[in-house]
Amino acid sequence: MTTEIPPTPTAAAPVPADRQGAGTAPRTALVLLVAVVVAAGGCLLALALTPSSAHAAVVWTGVLVGVVFCGAATLLAHARFTGESLRRMLSATRADNLALQSEIAARQAADRTLADRVVPLVVEKLRSGSSAETALAAAPPTENEAHRKVLEALATEVHRGEARRASAIAAAANAAGRMQALATGMAADLREMEHRHTEEEVLGDLLHLDHRTAQAGRLADCIAVLTGARSGRRWAKPIVMESILRGAMGRIGGYQRVRLHSSSGVAIAGHAAEGVMHVLAELMDNAANFSPPTSEVHVYVEEVAAGAVVTIEDGGLVMGEVALRRAEQAVQGSAEDLAGISGTRLGLPVVGRLARKHGLSVAFRPSAHGGTGVLVRIPRGLLTEPPAEAAASSDGGTLGRGMTLASATASGRDADLAAAPSAHTHEHAPDEVGSSGLPKRRRGRTLADARAPQRPETREEPDSLPRTAEESGSRLGAFRRAVQRAEAEGPDGGRADEVPAPTSGPLPEEQPLVRGRASGTARSDAPEADPSATAPIHASPRPEEDTR
Amino acid sequence: MRRPGRDDDPDRLYTVTGGRSRSGSDTFDLVTLVVSESEPVAGMQSEYAEILRICRSPTAVVEVASLLGLPVSIVRILLADLHAQGRITARHPRTGESADELPDPEILKQVLVGLRNLTPER
Repeated sequence: MTTEIPPTPTAAAPVPADRQGAGTAPRTALVLLVAVVVAAGGCLLALALTPSSAHAAVVWTGVLVGVVFCGAATLLAHARFTGESLRRMLSATRADNLALQSEIAARQAADRTLADRVVPLVVEKLRSGSSAETALAAAPPTENEAHRKVLEALATEVHRGEARRASAIAAAANAAGRMQALATGMAADLREMEHRHTEEEVLGDLLHLDHRTAQAGRLADCIAVLTGARSGRRWAKPIVMESILRGAMGRIGGYQRVRLHSSSGVAIAGHAAEGVMHVLAELMDNAANFSPPTSEVHVYVEEVAAGAVVTIEDGGLVMGEVALRRAEQAVQGSAEDLAGISGTRLGLPVVGRLARKHGLSVAFRPSAHGGTGVLVRIPRGLLTEPPAEAAASSDGGTLGRGMTLASATASGRDADLAAAPSAHTHEHAPDEVGSSGLPKRRRGRTLADARAPQRPETREEPDSLPRTAEESGSRLGAFRRAVQRAEAEGPDGGRADEVPAPTSGPLPEEQPLVRGRASGTARSDAPEADPSATAPIHASPRPEEDTR
Repeated sequence: MRRPGRDDDPDRLYTVTGGRSRSGSDTFDLVTLVVSESEPVAGMQSEYAEILRICRSPTAVVEVASLLGLPVSIVRILLADLHAQGRITARHPRTGESADELPDPEILKQVLVGLRNLTPER
């Protein structure tokens, strides 16, 4: 445009001026010449017609009239020609003007097309990941050189920006994923160490580290969610609500201020459990951060027809209307927009994304505790029955954490076939206590059942009395053996050689006890359990440690 | 070894005890027998309910820990809580004053041998 338009007016303007100068002056000179010739002719004619006595007067008159005539004719001609020239110039200018106007209109239309259609189209193509060339090829062709250059520059820049953004996000997502994996691995390691180290001081330190790791893991989860990476952990089984809530509160700094009020026995499907936990953790963290450090955060669970509602209420400041609206906007913000995110307030955008992903609805309202309440509705599609394998896992012992016995046995009915002995034992346990005169240990017998399925029949036989006596004897033997071994390994480190020999008889019977002690906790629990079992016998158990 | 993050429970141990790592009482050692004095109530933390269920018959602390799948130190904290609420009682296999009246180890050995003799040879 810049190469075409400016020359046009400058070229158009001089043309009439030239035309005027070139057109009128020669024609006026021609008229003057004709007038001079006519005047001279008139004078000569007058001289010829008049007598010679009057020649002087005629010459003077002729010259005078001729000069006047010539001047008048020249003036007239000049005026006439100038008028004509000006009129021509005017019409030419009008035509030029019209042409210019139509050209301007065409250019404006082209500009509008560029701004309204072409640029958005190209930018959209680029945003969706195509290269600058592809995006430009998709744009309607334009013969306007300037437009083409603008579009090319735009496409190149936008494409470069998109590429930078994508690679930055991919790097962040990758790093977050590795952080998540590290945090998860550390959590597993710490759990194992927590089982291995029974000293209270060590355990306290491990729990502290565990807490820190969980918080670091949550931050990594936040970045992973915001960068669109996959969620860190996958739970293969449904997670009961109590574990969800505790898993959530374990990831925030002020978890000791969170009070759970839940008797709900529902579980959340494994695929959504992590997301729900993270949402609740963020909201609990908000509640804990925006309330006085001495106040408590209360969490309630309520089962409704549409699912389950978790309410998180704090005793902090009441959020005003504007703040409530802003919070809800942050939660409902658009999925792709990372623009409004600051480094310190990641929580609500994360909640928004996870809520959209899992179909949770999050609402804020003033709380009955004086602060703010957040309601999270978990749709029914995400709720399941508590996992049945927990009931069958070991002796009904970890039977459905957080459930009532009735609901647990109802939900674990499928597992009852597999775990029939343990279920029986569980039901009949009160009857069997003391039936042989000795306190019978459910645990050992159940494990014996699980190991040797023929045992239930033999127990039904009438000669059960010797059996129980045998059992009692073997148990006592096992206990004694354990104590002696502990003693042998304890203070002097020597081995009591005569001990294993007499107890070799009831070997099959004593195994359940030993295995039972080691199976539930970490396997390395048993060796440490035995020396400390003898500790109260020999010495007082160091009360100064406990009171610290 | 388990695959980490797959089969764990999401709740960490410090949330089970509310951040405490010491029981603050030496009522419970590993072999203390625990008996529940009440039934679990709704809304109770699941570990407490589970302990009350397990301890319907006298159960040693270490067995409770094994059944719960929790470290003994954690279980001792939980037991101390329940004990403070009067929901469980602890029976010590031997107490300080009865230690003096313990039978002679020789007698115990003889009893043990006698009991073993009761069992049929295999």
